[in-house]
Amino acid sequence: MNEDNDATLHELAGGIGRRAAERLDVEATAQAVIEQLRQARRASRWSWMQPAWLQIAAAIVVLLGGALTVRTVSRGGGDTSEHDVAHFVTDDLSDLSTEQLAEVLSTLDQTLDAGGTMLPETGLEDLDAQQLRAVLRSLEG
Amino acid sequence: MPQPQPAAGPPSDAALIAAWRGGDEQAAAELVRRHARALARFLAGAGASEADLDDLVQMAFIRAFRAVDRFRGQCRFRTWLLTIGGNVLKDHGRRAARHQVVPLDEELRARDGDPQERAEAGEAEARLSAGLERLPRLQREVFLLRAQQGFEYAEIAAALETTEGAARVHYHHAVKRLKEWLL
Repeated sequence: MNEDNDATLHELAGGIGRRAAERLDVEATAQAVIEQLRQARRASRWSWMQPAWLQIAAAIVVLLGGALTVRTVSRGGGDTSEHDVAHFVTDDLSDLSTEQLAEVLSTLDQTLDAGGTMLPETGLEDLDAQQLRAVLRSLEG
Repeated sequence: MPQPQPAAGPPSDAALIAAWRGGDEQAAAELVRRHARALARFLAGAGASEADLDDLVQMAFIRAFRAVDRFRGQCRFRTWLLTIGGNVLKDHGRRAARHQVVPLDEELRARDGDPQERAEAGEAEARLSAGLERLPRLQREVFLLRAQQGFEYAEIAAALETTEGAARVHYHHAVKRLKEWLL
């Protein structure tokens, strides 16, 4: 009796889903699966490539930044640059009047006093333009 | 006298799996052709609606092919595939929040297909479907693997990563309950 019941259950179980399975378009399913696997593979490849691209981009940025820094340092660190600055200051001094030179020196006087640098004992107002320029040039070093 | 060459039979599942691992898409397609209907029957028996069946079959194959490195021949490819199908169905049920027991009448209305065909399917089969949905998942899957697919307990145990004894117990509990409800 039990075996009969088991056989009945097996027979019924064998029939479940049979019609639905027969309606399944197996070839279309196979093609759909293959296409989705391809898409997943492409997506996976892209996600692997992204960090590589980021690393390459970061390396390029670092190289360019480094090259720019080296260029700036090599241009700005030489004697030529110091000479240019001194020349620029001298040109400016030539254009200044006696009053303006005295004003610049008095400003410098205050600044240098704060830093402990000594200026000549003589009052700035007693110096003529040429002497004032000489004092300023001596301050430039 | 030259010996006749033995006729080359269809490649085994193992050969197709190896070919797929090597990137042969046609090997994967052939595995789908071989096992899609058995998988569809299993899923339908486990409670998948016919409307979802096609998608579920595809999802199960895709999950299997992507995890094929974990398949070490501990059981047949089909048995392994069906257990993956069971997991896919479970996840789908969670997402759709459709994992609920429905009375037989509602179950019959909810299923797709021609009403005439449904009637022809017979009341007993419909009652068995409803009964299967009331079983715990493991009992239902073991019952289907044994009764619908005809696998041995050892095969079922290997696929479900359990013992043969446990598989037998699940099957007998399932049969006992189904008999109480149906026969």
